[in-house]
Amino acid sequence: MMRRLALACCLLLAAAPAAAQFNINLNRLLDVGKNVKKATTDVDEKEEVEIGRDMAARLLGAAPLAADEALQRYVNHVGRWLASQTERPGLPWRFGVLEAPQLNAFATPGGHIFVTRGLVARMTSEAELAGVLAHEIAHVLRKHHLKAIQKGAQLELANTVVGTFSRSEGSANRREKLLAAGSELFARGLDKDDELEADRLGVVIAARGGYDAYGLPAVLQTLQAMNPEDSGLALMFKTHPAPAERLDALEKIQSTLDAYAAQQQLAARFSGALGR
Amino acid sequence: MKRLAVLLLLAPALALAEPATLIRDTELRQSPASDAAVLAPLGVNAKVEALERKGGWTRVRAEGGREGWVRMLMLRYAGAGEAKQGDSGIVQILNVARSGTSGTQVATGVRGLDAEQLANAKPNEAELKKLHGYSATDAAAAGFAASGKLEARKIDYPKEGG
Repeated sequence: MMRRLALACCLLLAAAPAAAQFNINLNRLLDVGKNVKKATTDVDEKEEVEIGRDMAARLLGAAPLAADEALQRYVNHVGRWLASQTERPGLPWRFGVLEAPQLNAFATPGGHIFVTRGLVARMTSEAELAGVLAHEIAHVLRKHHLKAIQKGAQLELANTVVGTFSRSEGSANRREKLLAAGSELFARGLDKDDELEADRLGVVIAARGGYDAYGLPAVLQTLQAMNPEDSGLALMFKTHPAPAERLDALEKIQSTLDAYAAQQQLAARFSGALGR
Repeated sequence: MKRLAVLLLLAPALALAEPATLIRDTELRQSPASDAAVLAPLGVNAKVEALERKGGWTRVRAEGGREGWVRMLMLRYAGAGEAKQGDSGIVQILNVARSGTSGTQVATGVRGLDAEQLANAKPNEAELKKLHGYSATDAAAAGFAASGKLEARKIDYPKEGG
């Protein structure tokens, strides 16, 4: 065991171009840590979009799109309008409804956003849909997934991941590893603080688009009103703070919520899009 | 069975008269506005029935049958408590509906987006291509917004904690 570890360290140091000595050097290891951090921070927009595209394809492998073109186009109009109100309007934003009974929504880096049929079915207005899409858009804007991948790489530093994301690797290999790490996040979730930030930003993005700012809180309240043991909520609740906690956090921006509470809800247009 | 699934999909998010409790002392108001007349004080943990939402306000029926409006964020629903035992069954029922063409009508467990399925998913490029075909241009989205009377506004992001 010890020997294998020592061997791994040797290989590792040998792989680093500047590593001349073969003794285990803590500072050196810390430097490698910084390199991992730098490598993932360095993900440029093109690569961000590629990783997100790959993650989206994986997600669609777990659940296909709802077979309702009108609904898909409707969600893309709402989502694209919201994305246009943000600091990254130029990303290739795509929105989709997944044919899955579970209640959830997902984002992948670079602008793929998904919401499940199960969650859409529990909504009552376009403002609620906008609130959820805007929350997911906020994850993309703030690169929360890339941040989580980077953090995961640092945590696993002592094991096998050292150098995983280094640019010196073949780019296909790097892309594959980033995809694997990113896809894990679907089941593991993001940082709690990032979820709460996405709620705050989501409320504002929906309000910028002219929607009733209470759309997202209304969805959270719907979730809060459901039985937490409901099988359709399991993954969502595992990967997000409890709805009550998220509602508590949103109370801190109640003045913002109230300022834009009288904007459009568009319940009738939403019902029409769902064929209700 | 299929019809039941459809009914569940149509169920409104906030069912009529949803039991809720207040997380703080607040006031029951005549209309959904902070300057509306106060009908009665309501104490923390008071039980009410939520009837409808309007912006940041929810119309409730308080104990004694009195109706009025409270701030929506003051309410927590009974979902976390003992009032709602069991599963809504939505997931199982929809799975039956989805596999309905097989004629077996046997729920084979939860499908779709749970942790295990996500872990084992293979990329579906055909669906991704379909998704990309549905995307909206900026201009189309602007037209869609205009038809819904949505007006863009400049609003700063809030700072953390307010």
